[in-house]
Amino acid sequence: MTTTSCSYEDAVTAAARSGDWSPELKAHRDGCLTCAELTLVVAALAADAEELAAIDTPLPDSALIWLRARLATRERQYQHATRAIVWVQRAAVAVALGVGLAFVPGLWNLVKGAFSSLDLSLPVSDLPRAAGSPLLVIVVSMLVLGGLALWELTVAQEN
Amino acid sequence: MIPMALTLPRTQTADLAGRAATMDEAAFRHLYDRTARPLRAYLMRSCGDLALADDLLQEAYLRMLRSGFEGEDDDHRKNYLYRIATNLLRDHFRRKRPESDEVPERDESPGHDEAVHIRSDVGGAMAELAPRDRQMLWLAYVEGASHQEIAKALGLRTASIRSMLFRARHRLAKQLQARGLRPELEVS
Repeated sequence: MTTTSCSYEDAVTAAARSGDWSPELKAHRDGCLTCAELTLVVAALAADAEELAAIDTPLPDSALIWLRARLATRERQYQHATRAIVWVQRAAVAVALGVGLAFVPGLWNLVKGAFSSLDLSLPVSDLPRAAGSPLLVIVVSMLVLGGLALWELTVAQEN
Repeated sequence: MIPMALTLPRTQTADLAGRAATMDEAAFRHLYDRTARPLRAYLMRSCGDLALADDLLQEAYLRMLRSGFEGEDDDHRKNYLYRIATNLLRDHFRRKRPESDEVPERDESPGHDEAVHIRSDVGGAMAELAPRDRQMLWLAYVEGASHQEIAKALGLRTASIRSMLFRARHRLAKQLQARGLRPELEVS
């Protein structure tokens, strides 16, 4: 019996899979350890594959896999489509912060002056006039509201 | 006793070659119906765990769909699918054990689903082999993959497949013989 690679391997494999043995091939197989082993392995794996394929446990639902793939694709498309918008939003936030920081010293003086002259005993409707400058109130309000709007557009949406 | 004249449960895909190249849901379902059971068998015999095999199976199809791979025909898609599945198995074994190529441990806990570990002689013999040997043998002798296809799936050189396959086969034969299955007995 030979124990190395055999030139009949392909023919023996095909025969082992089909069960169609010619007398010569059968005789060879019976005298060749390599081909006998090959026959044993091919037959064993075939039986095993048949056993595994016959397991009752249902397969995962193909419709669900399809749906998950579609959702993943849509998510990817959405991310791709909104990438530019997100970058523009981030740039806008950065510019707003930069501009805001540039005006901080001047604004701080204005706010300080406004608060020092603020008379809290007056009604709310008179507060802009009491602050000395209605423009200051408008600027501060816009900064606060603008900041909130940008936060909503960027951070809140990402969450 | 293993019956000799078994026809391998190969995936019959050649007849699907004429189907549309674009993968719509119907085409996917058709491909799935044709390939899922054999692919699950491959995954299960490679990892030894039905639940994990089902997870990897779903992930393999998902990755195929997400990649947008269309393939020339279903044979082409099937090969691609097996390549993804083999990569997933490799990742799994890497995550599980960094030193890799060791036989995964079996869950012997009482009440464990019978189907999870097929306790046949062949299953036991296969479990004694390294994952790569199991994958190689399955691809070669169940799926009928060529050496080139096996090399591609396992990330090996085509030239080394013949000798590696020979050694893996020899190891499996020894394991089968140790379980009382001998070539002389099986050959009719």
